[in-house]
Amino acid sequence: MADAVVLPQVQPVRPAVQFFKLIPGMLLLTAVGYAGKLLEQNVGKYAKSHHWTFPNIEYVLWAILIGLAISNTVGIPQIFRAGVATYEFWLKAGIVLLGSRFLLGDVLKLGGASLALVAIEIALAIGFMTLLGRAFGLKPKLTSLLAVGSAVCGVSAIIATKGAIEADDEDSSFAIAAILALGALSLFTFPLIGHALHLTDHAYGVWSGLAVDNTAEAAAAGALYSDAAGKLAVLTKTTRNALIGFVVLAYALYWASRGQAQAIGNKASFLWQKFPKFVLGFLLISLLATFAVFNKDQIGALANLSRWAFLLTFAGVGLRTNFRELAKQGLKPFAVGAIGEVLIAVFTLGLVYGAQRVFHW
Amino acid sequence: MSQANGEAIATKRRGLSLDGWAVLLAFALAALVRAGVFKHIPW
Repeated sequence: MADAVVLPQVQPVRPAVQFFKLIPGMLLLTAVGYAGKLLEQNVGKYAKSHHWTFPNIEYVLWAILIGLAISNTVGIPQIFRAGVATYEFWLKAGIVLLGSRFLLGDVLKLGGASLALVAIEIALAIGFMTLLGRAFGLKPKLTSLLAVGSAVCGVSAIIATKGAIEADDEDSSFAIAAILALGALSLFTFPLIGHALHLTDHAYGVWSGLAVDNTAEAAAAGALYSDAAGKLAVLTKTTRNALIGFVVLAYALYWASRGQAQAIGNKASFLWQKFPKFVLGFLLISLLATFAVFNKDQIGALANLSRWAFLLTFAGVGLRTNFRELAKQGLKPFAVGAIGEVLIAVFTLGLVYGAQRVFHW
Repeated sequence: MSQANGEAIATKRRGLSLDGWAVLLAFALAALVRAGVFKHIPW
């Protein structure tokens, strides 16, 4: 008998080991976020004491800028990468905790208004991206990924759709790079446009929640304007996120009908699988706050916990954005994404102006 | 389906998703605040 080939045994990684691997990166997120907070507090004071004119820069922008500086100069060493990637986890925990600052009635009222706007935004975004993708001769599945990424919730939607429509890895990395690069740009352009147009906190928050693709960037773009705008941006973006399952299901059915993806068996189970569960957590905490389960001080404590979680998220947004890596992904998807995003931003701004008149924001 | 894929899917099914862990952490923190363990969270 021939000798058996001895294959190296793959040892399952223990959860404790996995957790310890996250610690350096989580410490880096904390350090960058906290440095942003310290800079916000001290730079203004220092400038004032030296009679300099210096704009008040919020901790959100400092944290993102420090992260960008690290990521685009020295880079993120391997040891930190797993922990830095937890910024999405902190974002979701922060959104759930933010639910305590909304009464359920307000969520339903604001969410109901947002839902109508979100439905229009999704239809517009899918339409624009599909037309632009065809005009630029992009591969149809890459066009689908860009459309879903800009219509619903950026990277998460692209990853969810990639599996459902059996798109190539290359297509999804092109689409993710385009959405991330445009998200980074929106952080700097949206607040400037909002201030130039003298948008109210409410109108600006809804606009950034509607037009900025990634949830982390939407939350950051809102918080860069004001605390109230940040809250509304998260609520509107969460409404968009809640619809991810329907959009992914529609694309999966479309590609399956063309014989280029697997057929969907149980549609309800597919929707539940794709549904972002943190939306339920947000609604549940909001319900508890509505029934006065938390007193005023406790709501304040939960709001501050949410701010800490967002601080780590904003640090992560800067740390994971590497412009050289994004530039390597090619110009065409970026051009389609950029033109589409500008159109979506303009149209959603029009929608928000219209809604402002109807709802008196 | 390869064994590695099968194991990966099985592991995914066994564990909580990222969303699930985030919700769990948020509720654990909310419970600690409600119970008075964390009385004041500075900002």
